[in-house]
Amino acid sequence: MVSDECDHTWKMTNLRDGFIVTEKCYHCNKNRVYFSYEDVPPKDEYKEDDHYWNYAGSAQSVKFDMVCTRCEKTVPFEDLMGLMHCVGCDPECHVNIMSRICEGQNVWLYAALSYQLGEEVDLPVEKLVILTDYFTSRLRTPGKKILVVPGSLTRRPDLCRGEMLKDVGMLSLTPEG
Amino acid sequence: MTVKDLETKLNFKPLNKVTENEIDGAFISDMLSDVMAGAQAGSVWVTVQTHKNTIAAANLVDVPAIIVVRGKKVPEDTVKMADKVGVTVFGTDLDSFKVAVQLYEAGLKPVG
Repeated sequence: MVSDECDHTWKMTNLRDGFIVTEKCYHCNKNRVYFSYEDVPPKDEYKEDDHYWNYAGSAQSVKFDMVCTRCEKTVPFEDLMGLMHCVGCDPECHVNIMSRICEGQNVWLYAALSYQLGEEVDLPVEKLVILTDYFTSRLRTPGKKILVVPGSLTRRPDLCRGEMLKDVGMLSLTPEG
Repeated sequence: MTVKDLETKLNFKPLNKVTENEIDGAFISDMLSDVMAGAQAGSVWVTVQTHKNTIAAANLVDVPAIIVVRGKKVPEDTVKMADKVGVTVFGTDLDSFKVAVQLYEAGLKPVG
């Protein structure tokens, strides 16, 4: 996917604002996630095959692609829903275990959550490498690195309390301090 | 300028450990997505956001300090996470504009 002939230097491009929308089927309890580019997140209930999808929440976020500033190759990241930072909620979770190992080396793990047609899928390794290279290249602190890993390393995604980088509560009033 | 200078010279109130990291710019936004896309390492982030995923975003792009404006209360778990990743969080009753003026007069340049 990415040419080896160029020592790529990545930057974000094609930034698109929208919403990460979570839906839940109250018949089978299945969740699914998609990205909406509409001005407000859709909240309609609807039936699809055997599922009755209901709006379960949303958060503002952004989609982007990556472009190499040297060879101008663009890699679409339509499948990336967001990055999640581990908070250590599950001692047996692979992301947590890797985070604890890496943080001592000043390497910070972010899990890439990726969806296609509402279903969670792993981001291809090539894209994980691009994100790792890009965010690490933006760092200034000596020795610090960012490592982007597949979201599937999360042991129990349904119970994970990791911090996803999305804009929480931006459409609601926040209490004054 | 250092993060410590935000306390000693500009009188912003630190809510956790104050580092000596260098800062040379300021970024103002209440959207994490803006920070991911536009904030530069070594800049101070001015925001009303207090959720702990602000710390995850700051750590991702190497922002060493956050100034939470308008007297917003910062939850304890946010402060705890900030200490873990080495981000200093300050609080102030000032709004973003007044903070921006102070930072600009102190020599910081806008980034993003």
